[in-house]
Amino acid sequence: MNKHKKLLSKITAFSFVLPAILVVGLLLLYPVASSIFYSFTSKNLIKTTYKFVGLKNYIKVLSDSTFISSFLTSLKWTIFSLIGQVVVGFTAALALEHIRRGKGFYRTILIIPWAFPSIVIAMSWKWILNGVYGFVPIALVKLGIFSEIPQFFTTKEFVFATLLFINIWFGAPLIMVNVLSALQTIPKDQYEAARIDGATSLQQFRYITLPHISVVVGLLVVLRTIWVFNNFDLIYLITGGGPANLTQTVPIYAYNVGWGQKQLGVASAVTVLLLVFLLVICAIYFRILNKLEKEGPQ
Amino acid sequence: MKAKKILSLVLSLLMLLSVFTACGTQAGEPNDTATAPASSAPAQSEGSSEPAKLSGDIIFWHSFTQGPRMETLQSAADAFMKQNPGVKITIETFSWSDFYTKWTTGLASGNVPDMSTAQPGHVSEMINAEAILPLDDLINSIGRERFYEAPLTEMTADGSTYAVPLYSHAQVMWYRKDLLQKYNLQVPTTWDELYEAASIINKGEGGAVFGCSVPMGTNDMMATRYLNFYVRSAGETLITKDGKANLTSQAAIDGINYWVKMYKNNSPSDSINYNVLDQATLYYQGKNAFDFNSAFHISGVEANRPDLMDYIDCAPMPTIKKGDAQTGYETSNIPMVIWKNSKHPEISKAFIEYLYQPENYVPFLLSVPVGMLPAIKEVVNDATFNSNATVQKFNNALNVISNAVGYGTAIGMEYGPRVEAGLITSQGVIESMFQDIILNGTDVQKAAKAAEDRLNELFEAAKE
Repeated sequence: MNKHKKLLSKITAFSFVLPAILVVGLLLLYPVASSIFYSFTSKNLIKTTYKFVGLKNYIKVLSDSTFISSFLTSLKWTIFSLIGQVVVGFTAALALEHIRRGKGFYRTILIIPWAFPSIVIAMSWKWILNGVYGFVPIALVKLGIFSEIPQFFTTKEFVFATLLFINIWFGAPLIMVNVLSALQTIPKDQYEAARIDGATSLQQFRYITLPHISVVVGLLVVLRTIWVFNNFDLIYLITGGGPANLTQTVPIYAYNVGWGQKQLGVASAVTVLLLVFLLVICAIYFRILNKLEKEGPQ
Repeated sequence: MKAKKILSLVLSLLMLLSVFTACGTQAGEPNDTATAPASSAPAQSEGSSEPAKLSGDIIFWHSFTQGPRMETLQSAADAFMKQNPGVKITIETFSWSDFYTKWTTGLASGNVPDMSTAQPGHVSEMINAEAILPLDDLINSIGRERFYEAPLTEMTADGSTYAVPLYSHAQVMWYRKDLLQKYNLQVPTTWDELYEAASIINKGEGGAVFGCSVPMGTNDMMATRYLNFYVRSAGETLITKDGKANLTSQAAIDGINYWVKMYKNNSPSDSINYNVLDQATLYYQGKNAFDFNSAFHISGVEANRPDLMDYIDCAPMPTIKKGDAQTGYETSNIPMVIWKNSKHPEISKAFIEYLYQPENYVPFLLSVPVGMLPAIKEVVNDATFNSNATVQKFNNALNVISNAVGYGTAIGMEYGPRVEAGLITSQGVIESMFQDIILNGTDVQKAAKAAEDRLNELFEAAKE
């Protein structure tokens, strides 16, 4: 009887967990597994039949100079975006922490970019920086900073930097809000004790602030690395990867191959390579994070 | 305690069941399983003079996102449903780009509609994917001889016609009469004259109006379109008869050089990233002296700069040499198709036939006057059509475009529907080539050869 009760209890528990397992399986495991499977096939978006092609898709992708240049652009895009977002977000959080009045107001104002869909952000910036009617380029000429209307989206010198600026503007508030929350958890008496002991502001930052928020910043960096590396909409909507592939990242390359050329097998190989790369990066990040957590604030 | 355990078990089973139920409903499954049987019964029942009663639900996708066009189709559907109480037509509207993504991704899962509009390039891909039904019976029922021949040929493969032309338009040269007058210029008839006129206006206007914007954004097909204008006027094609890309012919190289020169001297720098809407907006706002488009420009200018309505007009496409006949127009014959997995093709066919009745068809065409030219010949003599104020005001444009429609085809479809035509306009290869020449200073011959090779690779890959 007791045995029967235990079995019933186990079935009940398992039944409660099973829907979650199924949902995770369908939404996460199935797409990943199907991508891996299709990456070894000649799967075409609109054709019903396909065949096994082994490593052909991987060889094709890795020997394509456009993929290599897209990968390097993605790396550049991720590294510079992250550095910019962390520096700006961190600085804004430290500044807000020291404001006595209107903290909530400023925090709300700065988080506004997250309230808009990407299409609105992309189209707004495209309009603001438009090389014919754009407010900013025309203002820069009127202020005498430029003699001709600067072309932010069409010249080699500006286009990548302009997209980076927009991405930093968009991403920094998230870092700011999270860092600000972490800053508010630091006991104020630690700063008082440090001041009594004669610690300078820099020393307070290095030995009190940084250890307390390093885990939060670390986690944000992990998340943002994945999001920024996979970022598609902003770049695609503003430049489409152009001009002359100057802003083409791996997700845009994968989209062009999968949806443009309809070669889903090849596009799957690209996404699998992307997945492997991001897993390696995340594993490195998590090692560092574990180390930071173990050290922790003293 | 025992009751609590049983309740827990029941609850958990219910949750489990809900997951299975959610997974069990297919996205494209029709919701009329209890009504009409899935047959393609003829509209007239055998051995009876009574028309067979139509019954069932169909989904109609179209890409007419503008209010008036959408409304006229909805009105026609409502009237059809009133006449056929057993029929339900659900209209879903997507922009052309969304529509393309929707059907290509939906095909694998069976999530495509019963009937839809299409672009000519789509039709060849749909035929290649064996996704649509041949519609010869429907066309014969409407009257094959009533349609213009060129659009039907464009939609015919292996002796079967797979789409019914709904309307046509052609790309022609738009200009500003006031600017030509201001600079004492004639309407250009050759490419060289166009360059000269654009340069004079560009210089004279000092950046307020550009001579001739050249759009090259990789997320559209505009540079391919512009190159095609030039190459077709030289009597050549961007895709050869045997399905190869043709960017290294003398006409293509001359065309590339021509548009690069035009971009550098008479176009806004920003146009290197322009898509069709960016380019059209420039003209709508009075910032572009010469442009290439269909008569949709009329409604665009009317909405943005009504004060310019008296100063816009169009002319035939320029030629290479003065006096040459221009026969290489790009036309778009927008058709309707019926999907193979439709459970009620008979309803779709009956509805399409109903749309061509004058009381439905003429108001539809007049929802964008002059923008949509009739696919059926006799409509040009229709009194209601001809009495429309815009049709009367832009009668010259109507004649120029009507003439162009008779000669042209879609890009790459000069030898009939083919998958290569879809690829040359959707991959941004020619756009990338132009950007590479302009931004990186790559040699034109070298860039053209690289783009040609790239396109041929894509053509081969599509056949695998």
